[in-house]
Amino acid sequence: MAALSPSEAANAGRANLMAYATLSIISIFCIIPFFWVLLASLDGNAKLFLAWPENWTIANYARVFTKEDGGKWLFNSLFMVGGATLLVMVLAGLGGYALSRTNAWWKLPFLYGILLIRVLPQTALVVPLYKLMLTLNNAEGNLLRPIFGEYTRAIMRWTGFIDGYLGMILLLATMQLPLALWIMKTFFDGLPRDYEEAALMDGATLIQRIRRVLIPLALPGLAAAGLFAFMSAWGDFLLPLTFLSSPELQTLPLGLFRAFLRVNEIDYGLLAALAFIYLLPAVIAFGFARRFLVQTFSGGVKG
Amino acid sequence: MINLKNVRKSYGAVEVIKGVNITVEDGEFAVFVGPSGCGKSTLLRMIAGLEGIDEGDLILNGKRINDVSPDKRGIAMVFQSYALYPHMTVAENIGFSLSLKKVPQAEINREVGAVAEVLQLTDYLNRRPAALSGGQRQRVAIGRAIIKKPSLILFDEPLSNLDSALRVQMRAELQRLHRELKATVVYVTHDQVEAMTMADRIVVMNGGHVAQQGAPMDLYHAPENEFVATFIGSPKMNIIPVTVTRGNGGVAHVESALGLSFDLPDANNALPQGAAKLGIRPEHLRLSTDSNAVSMEVAIVERLGVETYLTVGTTENPVVVRTEGDVAIRAGDRVSLTVDLAGCHLFDSAGRVSRPSSAI
Repeated sequence: MAALSPSEAANAGRANLMAYATLSIISIFCIIPFFWVLLASLDGNAKLFLAWPENWTIANYARVFTKEDGGKWLFNSLFMVGGATLLVMVLAGLGGYALSRTNAWWKLPFLYGILLIRVLPQTALVVPLYKLMLTLNNAEGNLLRPIFGEYTRAIMRWTGFIDGYLGMILLLATMQLPLALWIMKTFFDGLPRDYEEAALMDGATLIQRIRRVLIPLALPGLAAAGLFAFMSAWGDFLLPLTFLSSPELQTLPLGLFRAFLRVNEIDYGLLAALAFIYLLPAVIAFGFARRFLVQTFSGGVKG
Repeated sequence: MINLKNVRKSYGAVEVIKGVNITVEDGEFAVFVGPSGCGKSTLLRMIAGLEGIDEGDLILNGKRINDVSPDKRGIAMVFQSYALYPHMTVAENIGFSLSLKKVPQAEINREVGAVAEVLQLTDYLNRRPAALSGGQRQRVAIGRAIIKKPSLILFDEPLSNLDSALRVQMRAELQRLHRELKATVVYVTHDQVEAMTMADRIVVMNGGHVAQQGAPMDLYHAPENEFVATFIGSPKMNIIPVTVTRGNGGVAHVESALGLSFDLPDANNALPQGAAKLGIRPEHLRLSTDSNAVSMEVAIVERLGVETYLTVGTTENPVVVRTEGDVAIRAGDRVSLTVDLAGCHLFDSAGRVSRPSSAI
């Protein structure tokens, strides 16, 4: 960089000061809602306004788990989103590999096609999706009811396509799969075939090549794809709202939403505590993701 | 001993290996050399079993192995990128093939230790490949190959990722290893210097064909065609357009637009008549004080200390002359040249060679 003259340096100093002042104001503006959530969740007498709590308490958190069904909501969210993430990682790992190593003519049209799923507004997709899931659900119900009778509902809470864990996991995974496939396809593109061929020469079977060479090598990519899927599915609200109705299957965003809609009282302390619990896994996931993202998007495996 | 008999390979309509016959004897260091796209790497991958063979026979130690899977061929390969597994230590990389075969860990450790000893890697066994230098990675890749005790080791341009100083060092190292292991080696490179310095047998490839195979010095002194003549040797053999006419008493008279004019012995009248190309290496053109020698202007002088290269002739047809030591000639000076008749090659329009022959 060229040396600055004294007048240029003075100008640069002033410009920097202005820039930092502007940026600080913008960041404060962005941070305040989060700060409010943290403060209000610990305030025994929380209001809508940003205020330093007079009596610090964890009663709000306690209420989430005792008075409300917070534990159940958290479990449901973690189970559905976690299941979807796992499914996405397996499918994106296998599919990304196949898409990277094939030269089929339909490869690019397919890749752009699946990306379209991400581009279409989810709200528009919900109607046909509901129709599809309902058909599947009815078919499953008709199949199970003659066999299990009154226990059918209890089984379909797990395996149902509507108002069931399986259906929700499939839906969340479907929405996250396109991006994950792209990430894994790009990742495998950057992974030389030499590794597999070397393993082949060393006498590794297909299973050994996958387990001992490909999976360890693909781990950074899988982690990135999985964390992206987790963060995005964690924030999904429309799908659980549309496809879940039983209180036992309620997830955190639904619980938060319904607590907010109660007519008689708005318990800001409880809402803030719920919101904070809902925020936490996403932030933790992001913390992990940062490490792998750098590795994945800066050129794959070194060595 | 490995034997390729009329081996062919096509990708779609494009034939990349067009009927190749090669024999490599036990313990030989064979180098496949040629410009990029000549098919040498494909041929190597066909021997390894990573590419199928469309036609012909691949015979290793008397057995046809066209359809034997890569790991059952008893062949090891060192990849251009080394392909060391970044998530394994050096010891795990070297012992990978044994651990796949469920060899007991104690035995793996012993074998890996022995290989590491030969390759001077003992101090690095617990490191990851990322923490090694280029030369060390190269040695790990070789270790991974030799621990399998293969009857044939394949090298795919293994030195192309190293800097030039390290390349010279690794060339010597590879020759030492080859001597110690007494292994048969097939080595692919585009660098004719690597081929000349390391090979017992060079196979020059061009456009999917074997242009010529043989000992390095045979290829250097008696190339069979213009391609081999110009590919082998540095600086390149000079190619000068000439006109050949039959002289009296078993000679052919050669003349060129550059002013060269001399008779070549041609006892059997075998030299081509009419337009041809004269191939002559820089060391077979000599500075002379002879009055009937051809005089040319020097365009470029390159001094290397022990020898000096003079470029004479025209810009379209430069001719390089090698002289011993550091001569006091500058660009623009005129020099007189004589031709060493024994170093002359004549190429016909198809590039086939014929050499002067004296009546005995």
